Amino acid sequence: MASPALWQRCIAASALASTSRNVTRTFTTTSAVAMARQRPGASKPTVARVPGLDQPGTLHNLSEIHPLLDHYPRKTDQDGNLDLETPKLWASAPPLDNMLKNQADDDVDEASLPHGLTKDDLKKFLKRALVVKRTSNMTTAGKIPSMYALVVVGNGEGIAGYGEGKDDEVARAVRKATNRAMRNLTAFDRYDDRTIYHDIDHKFHATNIQFRSRPPGFGNRCNHYIHEICSCIGILDISAKVWGSRNPMNVIKATFEALSLKQKLPEDIARGRGKRVVDVQHTYYGANE
Amino acid sequence: MPRHYDLCARVQNGFAARLRRIAVPDTKLNLAISNVLYKEGFIAGVSRGDHVQPDTDYVSTTPDNIATRRLWLELKYNNDEPVLKKMSAVSKPSKKIVMKVEELQNLAAGNRAQFIKGLQPGEIAILTTNYGVLELRDALEKGAGGEVLCRAI
Repeated sequence: MASPALWQRCIAASALASTSRNVTRTFTTTSAVAMARQRPGASKPTVARVPGLDQPGTLHNLSEIHPLLDHYPRKTDQDGNLDLETPKLWASAPPLDNMLKNQADDDVDEASLPHGLTKDDLKKFLKRALVVKRTSNMTTAGKIPSMYALVVVGNGEGIAGYGEGKDDEVARAVRKATNRAMRNLTAFDRYDDRTIYHDIDHKFHATNIQFRSRPPGFGNRCNHYIHEICSCIGILDISAKVWGSRNPMNVIKATFEALSLKQKLPEDIARGRGKRVVDVQHTYYGANE
Repeated sequence: MPRHYDLCARVQNGFAARLRRIAVPDTKLNLAISNVLYKEGFIAGVSRGDHVQPDTDYVSTTPDNIATRRLWLELKYNNDEPVLKKMSAVSKPSKKIVMKVEELQNLAAGNRAQFIKGLQPGEIAILTTNYGVLELRDALEKGAGGEVLCRAI
């Protein structure tokens, strides 16, 4: 398949070549083909789509841009002259793996942020790099080390997310993880803006976590990773116990899964059963009425 | 004589299988527990019927048809989820649980009583009392304790 660059070179070459060169051989239709086209009994005579191609010796001037044959018209200046000297730049080889690897993707698209957040809001987010460790990829060339980071971000008002990043340097890995965390934000339901609605049991891989809702003033009495996540989300009172594996990455992922997927709001329960739900706690004991 | 744990298993499995209605043995205890579930909004209806389908007209229970008698419970779903997630027996043949009013008050508040976990938001407990089979809060209104049969959420 001839590339467009090849087309341009052909046009340039043909413009310099002598016009007496017989180039019509390739484009001529043989008499047999012409005969086949003019079928006996055909209502309309066949007409070539490109004028001049069915008659020998009448080829269009290759130095002119043809609307059909030349798919990639080059830029012409005001006089309409082609610029044949400077070659058109096409996509060159893809960037080196190192260049791609070391980009941290710092720019976050504001339109893609959920819950009406802006970039200024993101600057005020809490950021906690909870897991930073050294991994190595075993290859035929030997061990290739890399730094891995897991960062949890949150605004302390119910919005949080986590991201993982890897790079040769710790700082860049943490930055990548932070940017990915900013892209994966979710909103968490909190009862009274301080605790979860009910006790939750969740299993993620080999990690089992039990969360228990607790009264105001209790505090976050839980695993240190869960404690950091709760401060990012804005949970003030909770009790939790991790059973089974306490692998930090899995504890963090289990916590996010449990708190976002497994909470059932009283309004949804009431709607399913066809009952009315009334907030007695705040009406009876509330101080703001 | 199927006891309350048989009903718990049938109802829970019916909801998990996303069935429209299930047939359970037609006994006084099953009818009483099903009535409590209906009043609490877990199921859409209770009716008597055949082993094939519910009755359209009244059919009296006679020794001829007693083997085919069933209770049909219409199950409810909301937002692509079952309304009843879990129904488990509390008092079992291996360990019978009978509670006084103070212990029932603890359960209702969400605290533990007699190694039984407190009720979560939206959870109910069904118990037999001298006033019949009641939900836990109805039993507390009457000031009655009794054997805690099962809990549903």
